[in-house]
Amino acid sequence: MVSLTINGSKEEVDVDPSMPILWVIRERFGMTGTKFGCGIAQCGACTVHLDGEPIRSCSTPVSAAEGKEVTTIEGIASEDGTLSKVQQAWISEQVPQCGYCQSGQIMSATALLRDTPQPSDEQINAFMRGNVCRCGMYGRIRKAIKVAAGIEQPGQQGAAT
Amino acid sequence: MGSNNLKRIFLYAVIGASALGLTACGASSPDPVEQIIVSEPGQTPPPVLAAIEADPAAAGAADFAACAACHTVESGPGSGVVSGVVSGVGPNLFGVVGRKAGSVDGFAYSDAMRASGLTWDAASLDAFLADPAATVAGTTMTTGAIADADRRSAVIAYLSSLSE
Amino acid sequence: MNETTSTKPSSSKTSRSRAAKWTRRGFIGAGALAGGALIVGVAVRSGNPVGKLKPIVAGGDDEALINSWVKIDADNLVTAIVPHCEMGQGANSTIAQMLADEMDVNWENVRVMDAPADGNYVSQHAARLFVGPGTLPDRPNQVGFMEPTYDGLFTQLGKLAGAYITGGSSSVRSTGQNGMRIAGAAAREMLVAAAAKEWGVPASEIKTQNARLTHAGSGRSEPYSAFAEAAAQQELPRAPKIKQVSEYRLMGTPAPRKDIPSKVDGSAIFGIDGGPDSDDLRYAAVKAAPVVGAQIASMDASTAKGMGGVLQILNMGDFVAVVADSYWQAQQALGTIKTAYTETENDTVSTAKMFAGFSAALDEAGDTGGNSKAEYGDPIDALGGAAIAVEAEYKVPFLAHATMEPMNCTAWVRGGKCDIWTSTQVPLMARDGAAEGAGVNADDVTMHPVFLGGGFGRRLTPEYSNQAARLAKAAGYPIKMIWSREEDTAQDFYRPADISRFKGGLDENGKAVCWNNVHCTEDEPAEAPLIEFYDIPNVSVRNADVEMPVRLGAWRSVAHSQHGFFVESFVDELAHAAGQDPFEFRSAHLANSPRHLAVLEGAAKMAGWGDALPEGHGRGIALVRSFNSIVAEVAQVDMTGNKPRVVKMFCCVDAGFAMNPDGLAAQMESGIIYGLTAAMYDEITLKDGKVEQSNFHDYQMMRMDDAPEISVQIINGAPDNIGGAGEPGLPPAAAAVANAIFAANGTRIRELPIAKHFA
Repeated sequence: MVSLTINGSKEEVDVDPSMPILWVIRERFGMTGTKFGCGIAQCGACTVHLDGEPIRSCSTPVSAAEGKEVTTIEGIASEDGTLSKVQQAWISEQVPQCGYCQSGQIMSATALLRDTPQPSDEQINAFMRGNVCRCGMYGRIRKAIKVAAGIEQPGQQGAAT
Repeated sequence: MGSNNLKRIFLYAVIGASALGLTACGASSPDPVEQIIVSEPGQTPPPVLAAIEADPAAAGAADFAACAACHTVESGPGSGVVSGVVSGVGPNLFGVVGRKAGSVDGFAYSDAMRASGLTWDAASLDAFLADPAATVAGTTMTTGAIADADRRSAVIAYLSSLSE
Repeated sequence: MNETTSTKPSSSKTSRSRAAKWTRRGFIGAGALAGGALIVGVAVRSGNPVGKLKPIVAGGDDEALINSWVKIDADNLVTAIVPHCEMGQGANSTIAQMLADEMDVNWENVRVMDAPADGNYVSQHAARLFVGPGTLPDRPNQVGFMEPTYDGLFTQLGKLAGAYITGGSSSVRSTGQNGMRIAGAAAREMLVAAAAKEWGVPASEIKTQNARLTHAGSGRSEPYSAFAEAAAQQELPRAPKIKQVSEYRLMGTPAPRKDIPSKVDGSAIFGIDGGPDSDDLRYAAVKAAPVVGAQIASMDASTAKGMGGVLQILNMGDFVAVVADSYWQAQQALGTIKTAYTETENDTVSTAKMFAGFSAALDEAGDTGGNSKAEYGDPIDALGGAAIAVEAEYKVPFLAHATMEPMNCTAWVRGGKCDIWTSTQVPLMARDGAAEGAGVNADDVTMHPVFLGGGFGRRLTPEYSNQAARLAKAAGYPIKMIWSREEDTAQDFYRPADISRFKGGLDENGKAVCWNNVHCTEDEPAEAPLIEFYDIPNVSVRNADVEMPVRLGAWRSVAHSQHGFFVESFVDELAHAAGQDPFEFRSAHLANSPRHLAVLEGAAKMAGWGDALPEGHGRGIALVRSFNSIVAEVAQVDMTGNKPRVVKMFCCVDAGFAMNPDGLAAQMESGIIYGLTAAMYDEITLKDGKVEQSNFHDYQMMRMDDAPEISVQIINGAPDNIGGAGEPGLPPAAAAVANAIFAANGTRIRELPIAKHFA
């Protein structure tokens, strides 16, 4: 039995403690926003926060979450549903194409901005290199991070419709 | 996506051929050649721990599966690095028991690991696997801790069994 | 950032006459749904079948098939029901944008819905593109009187072959341009007619804007929904007037995509996420025989039986499966199963042997043998008289698609019915594959639409739906089957490998006088290796028949992916042999191709072609027309390190008209990164019949820190002849980089991936 908090909710899960957090999130809690891409921490699609730090949930056993706080993409917006600054920037810059990698991208970007509120391009590139985007939106992702950080103005359109 | 390629798909679909990798039979798909029913839904699946008591190294092999995301256990030349690219990479652990920490050729260890002065044995591995960051402050192994003591000893037993 | 090059007005007249031709046979159908909702569809009707087509066109003369639908409901919401899949290219949203513009509906009131995957939503336009080359709807007047007959034929073929397809960069330029716009225009006219009748005013005095009908003279104004039911009673318009470019209000603007909000909050459902609301759902991990054609000879699952969560272990003949309470448990157990496979003739297949076979075939074809793809002039003679002769051979590997979302399918088989959730570009084919696997009729299979985590041509095959249905039928529960990344890499349908040989000649003025090319792949699309847009008089393009005992498939831009590299590398080598700047050389050979020239100049200008660069840096240029879009790219590379670094890519694209310029730019960026990832790093190799690569550690991905900055410029060069967006950004990328490397330090890369030369 593993006790953990997920998106603010205290839970106990009766699973094999070596089951990666990714599958506990997707299958036990039915939260499918966190994705499976490679299973060996190479693509970043599975990125969630463990006590605020970004981890690759496909390669982290749920036992590592014992007594800790897991945050997924579903828990990033505020309680009243307002999207985070990062999420809003992702919309204003029209970042997602297929969108499959974007939960992981947003989770990594959120952690980056928490640690480094005004990152340089080099800092962004180094921090985000673990998140692969097969649709190749790296330029837009970097721009959106800078928009969320207030370093750049939104490019395409303002609020989404 | 090309015209002739799609034309080929058309033709195969129309003719009903199996060139796209479907099984050979035409009409209905074959039943399983063999179907092992281990349990019905709702039944309690066999506990994993039973295997540990029987043969710790074999159980440890199954437990090691989580570590295999980043570590290989290959004998022979090469650092056996699973990936040379990003975070999550770990060195080849074949023969790790009895080895100086941070010594596999070609692997980009953290300075902390290289300077740790550890030689891996059951005790130091147990401490490290319980809490990597506490044992070697600054290690890049930020995940992979094994909280359960029995499981740790099973993995260590498995690693100990791996030597030339 | 649009540069609009004007075209002659006759093209828009052609559009209107196309609509007229279209409707002469009553191609528009309309009706009312319960609750007062209007639904309008653009239909095709089988006309009078000409002789040999008659046996194929099975239905009667009255059979109508609708392929573009629009629905207006009581809340004044307009739904575009689109028979294409959203796999990242934004086509569904763009098609809805085109509809909304024709209907004078504001973007906020528009929704997009994937059309149900049953035969009535067939994309006959896609069918036309791939079965009747040269009968593209966007090249009017080519088939004229045959129009209705072809429509009927392709509808039938489409139905037969399950041609509900997303691919060929065709969604916007065919379904959007020729189906949805007409549906929207027709719906608007019927609404106006209904209001005119009700208000007793001439239709010409009624304005439509923001989903409202207004009559200024009498001060009346009502939402569309008020007239939806009455509109359905109106006469079908004979020739719905679609807008000219100057009237576009939404088309040509970067309207925000409808699917993006759900992709930033985790709510978007992809194939891997979809499934029934059932406590019985279980998970399966599978491993098929690694060698093509092999079967499972024996399976030792003794360890797997004792592992946590395992419910069933199945030998399905061609693959082994573990069904468990969790995907991870299934995959762990699968990893312990020892499998022996049957022997096949493919056990000795290797890329080394295949390439040796290619070389032998090319040796045999020589300068004149093989299958001719294009012949004009006399290239043999011209080479003999050339002042400078240039020869080169290029080589490219097999490539995997590596969609971010691995192949997967969730299947539920019970009571003669089957439900499928899967990411597919061909829902009807996937449906048929599932039907066969489940042992039910195709009509009893429900395909649940989902978002695709990347398609790139991989998801044009139905085998994984068949697999999941067979498993679900055998196991007795709903099964979510997920391929591991290793399985996905091993069981792909690869972009073919190829070797291409060139002989070219230049006259004493440095003008190309001949071009002789022979290569090994089938040419799909047929135009991929052809160079008619270059003014080179004596040309032979041929291919040789070779053995490639590998599963092959359409990989983003298909044959353009290799021929773009081959052709634009050789053009560059000709340029350098002539002692000319590669941009100037190409320009000099584009006298008869003004749109190509404009795009080439656009890219060169963006890139500051000719401006000084730091030592060890170089620029390369490449130009490819594919899927009716013309793209030129300039790469800027830095060769000062121990590996090439692509610093910047400049892309100029003429896609006829950018329906959504932000979407077009994004897809150019996407094609460039997808193409460069492969060109820089990737190859699929086979040894002992098996693919050697498995995951992202040995099939490397381009990442944020090695991806170039990309700038895109758009030219709207032909608003009535629009081209694709999803694929055309890819073909020039590899050559642009290889050409840049040559410019930087004189190294000519003729074999991809580039990284293998800098190990």
